[in-house]
Amino acid sequence: MPYSLLLVFILPTLGVPLSYFAAKKSTKAAGILVALIALINIGLILSTLPTIASKSIYQESYTWIPILSARFTLFADGISASIAIISLVLIFAAALFSINYMEGKKNLPVYYALLSMLSIGLVGVFITSNLLLFYFCWELMLVPAYFIIGGWGYRESYRAAFKFFIFTHAGAVFVLLGIGAIYMTTGVTDMFVAQGALMSFPDIARWILIALTAGFAVKMAIVPLHMWLPDAHSEAPATMSALLSGVIISAGAYAILRLSLGTVFPAVAGTAFGSSFLHGLAVFGVISAFFGAFIALVETDIKRIIAYSSISHMGYVMFGLSLYSSAPIVGAITITAAIVGTVLHIVNHAVSKGLFFLSAGAIMHQTEKRNIDEMGGLAGKMPFTGASSITAALSIAGSPPFACFVSEFLIFVGAFEIISIDGFYTIPTVFMLIATVLSLAYSLRFVYRVFLGQSRSKNLEQEGEGEKKVVDVPNFMKLSMGILVIFVIILGIYPAFFINLINTVAII
Amino acid sequence: MVGIVDVALPIISMVAFSILTIPVFRVIHKSQHRTVLMLAWFSAAFIVSGAAVANLTAKYYSLASPPTPLPFLNITLTGEPYTTLSSAFMIDAISIYMAIIFIAVSAVVVFYSLFHLSSDERPSGRYFAIMLMLTAALMGAVFSGDLLTLFIFWEAAAAGSGFLMIYKKTRASLNSTLKYLVMIIIASAFIVFGLSLVYGLTGTLNFWAVRDALITLSNKNLLLIAFIFIAAGYAIESAIVPFHFWLPDAYTAAPSSSAAFLSALIDQGSYYVLIRVLVFILTPPAALNWTFMLAVMAALTMIVGNLFALIQTNVKRLIANICVADVGYNLIGITSVTATGLMGNLYFFLIGGITTALSFMAIGLINRYGFKTLEDFSGLGWKMPFVSLALLIAGLSFAGVPPLGGFTAKFLVFTAAIEANLSWLAVVGVLTSVIQTAYVFRLVNYMYGRRPKDETRIAESKRILVPIFILVGAIIILGIYPQIVFNLIQPSIQQITFFP
Repeated sequence: MPYSLLLVFILPTLGVPLSYFAAKKSTKAAGILVALIALINIGLILSTLPTIASKSIYQESYTWIPILSARFTLFADGISASIAIISLVLIFAAALFSINYMEGKKNLPVYYALLSMLSIGLVGVFITSNLLLFYFCWELMLVPAYFIIGGWGYRESYRAAFKFFIFTHAGAVFVLLGIGAIYMTTGVTDMFVAQGALMSFPDIARWILIALTAGFAVKMAIVPLHMWLPDAHSEAPATMSALLSGVIISAGAYAILRLSLGTVFPAVAGTAFGSSFLHGLAVFGVISAFFGAFIALVETDIKRIIAYSSISHMGYVMFGLSLYSSAPIVGAITITAAIVGTVLHIVNHAVSKGLFFLSAGAIMHQTEKRNIDEMGGLAGKMPFTGASSITAALSIAGSPPFACFVSEFLIFVGAFEIISIDGFYTIPTVFMLIATVLSLAYSLRFVYRVFLGQSRSKNLEQEGEGEKKVVDVPNFMKLSMGILVIFVIILGIYPAFFINLINTVAII
Repeated sequence: MVGIVDVALPIISMVAFSILTIPVFRVIHKSQHRTVLMLAWFSAAFIVSGAAVANLTAKYYSLASPPTPLPFLNITLTGEPYTTLSSAFMIDAISIYMAIIFIAVSAVVVFYSLFHLSSDERPSGRYFAIMLMLTAALMGAVFSGDLLTLFIFWEAAAAGSGFLMIYKKTRASLNSTLKYLVMIIIASAFIVFGLSLVYGLTGTLNFWAVRDALITLSNKNLLLIAFIFIAAGYAIESAIVPFHFWLPDAYTAAPSSSAAFLSALIDQGSYYVLIRVLVFILTPPAALNWTFMLAVMAALTMIVGNLFALIQTNVKRLIANICVADVGYNLIGITSVTATGLMGNLYFFLIGGITTALSFMAIGLINRYGFKTLEDFSGLGWKMPFVSLALLIAGLSFAGVPPLGGFTAKFLVFTAAIEANLSWLAVVGVLTSVIQTAYVFRLVNYMYGRRPKDETRIAESKRILVPIFILVGAIIILGIYPQIVFNLIQPSIQQITFFP
């Protein structure tokens, strides 16, 4: 369908004022409006799938800034379509969840307008191949996210939001430097064209690769650069945490795959620098996986547990990315199990972690507590939330038949394929296998402490003392969590849809 | 054909309106409808001179015959080709572009000043007469075709801006204006000395004749001295770092409308003169290798400007320090001497100008209620939502967050630095722009993240928000679709030959 990707930009842009004015009348209408726009956008992206199936890529291109050779180039292929679809699913769920979750808070019209604005950049970043437009969308995620975290978060939310903004913006300026260097050396700003043009500048490509990857790694919260994440995720409102953890940090992973590895890496592939770069990614991946998992094991704040588990899972994704070692041939790559696994893990992690954060938000909304030591035995009081949390926790732990199992399995298949070529990966792979045990441990700890056993809080037991009785969540929250539960289970049992979609990719 | 009348018309009409402003104000001050009448008077001034500029633009662009670039037009008073000392105008794509943005930005700032000043004190005809006169002088400076004409017009603008600073006659403004004027006098002495050396070396002051003569010059010792004096002179006027101390004082002590005018027009005019004289006429890098020196100054300016802004608690002073930092970003483009750098500069003249003007205008409105320091700005986002939104957008544009104009400007100058093999300068640029983000967001944190002392909402004057939101719209639109401006910049890139 012509213009379908352009509409993906235009609809949420129109949604900004519309949801603002709708929320002045009724916040329910605004939430449904944002969700509806996300739903239409899913349909628009699905409409490109026939073209992707036949030509492996769907492209649209409009005049923008000719003097910088920048065109408004939109595209969808297996990787970007699958991540864009899952982002929209999360936006859909978050918008519905907001209706009850945000009830009674101040300045809600601004909130819905910001949510709509966020969805422009959040989806746009996956469907553009122009580097400038990519950077526009990349930063467009930041400002609404800052205000949502700050304005509707918990405790010292503006401090967390400030940290989030400064860290990720500092990362982004290095991305900008990299993009500028690509434009200067090749004279083009399209990532696919730049890939071929960069092949003759391996020396510059090396620096571009480092600048871009460092910038993206901040967004991805890979360990030495992760400091913003626990605060931002735990202070943000649940809907924003779900989007942050599900999509925004995954955008970093996507960008490393597309730009660092796809566009720039071929120029240095095959050299000693190229392989040590990939080994470096693997090492940082392992460190993140362990670091996140260990802290998640000892944290007592429910949102911080999930936040650290995100760091751990970005470690998996980073490890998966480090297995990218296709031959340096432009325009033709073999899609290895590792690439499929990594992209699939981005998708699966997005829904599972989105569900996890929404469930945690539901718990906090109903009990007004956030320390797991004060909880326990909630499964009986909140059966629906209990079921959804357990689904999410098991998926995060990587146990079948839930979503993340499939993708982790594929990453390990990819790792074993690589080990036969490059012995270096033996030790990281072993460590990653151990890390999966840790993620099972913290997930089970979470489930046990929060939902099973006896209640450890006086207030939760003696509900007569002016405390409100803990009941299960209202309907819109149930609906949005239910949708994600279905996704987590279906993606676990029948992953073929996304695997087939990702397999159509011809160029990264 | 472009004649002397076409070139002089915008300047003369501006001067005429400026001179008539004082008697006209005397008359309409007694009228009941004085706001409407003042608006009508200034609308007439800007429509007439805007039409004159439009006429010049149309005539000049009608000379275009692609693929050859637009010509450099030398226009003398008598219509004869220039002789050694004849004063001359020169029209090229850059001067047309600068004239357009000066007229447009000046109009917005003058309308803002009208509301800003009239609300708290007696509107002073002289103040607006000076604004129009300065706009005329700036247009004269951009149209001038030889170093002497440029010097006369530019010094008129630079020295005249002292009147805008001193308007309130407070102790602080007297002090800072005195400081400014002393600096300007020193600067013009330097420049005159340098120009006399150049005249001695080349026997002419016409831009292109000087340039041709200097490139073939064999003994460059005297040129080096001339360059140092002229560069120092213009560096003082555009507040490049070792010479920047006057700027934060002057802009903070001046009324906000003056600060907006100075930052959007005089400041940008000074970079224009710097770029025109140093880079493209006097000493292109082929004539004298100064790249490293200016690069170091650019780095220092960015670092010092941003670090000083980081420690400010007075918001107006913070913005004044951003003006200093912006000089540094502009200098990156100047230093690189590439097409991208020139594009970045020309775009920065507009975006940097309107962003600082916007923030001064917003702060002018906020200051009126006694909010001056960061602490006072607590919770302002909920008390004065519209003007806070404008200040937020200006701040994001300073920090280089797309899709606002500041991003495109920074992208252009940073890529220009990479192109000119000055990657270290680009790295300094991005690191300092992280500092910039930090203090901008500290301000945003105060405005939105803190509880105000009293939560009563303050009614913002609607008519003063109109010029403010015109600039907000310009920043957003030029950020998303910068091609509007690039269409005017592009011919100048094709015109100028860049030296390797």
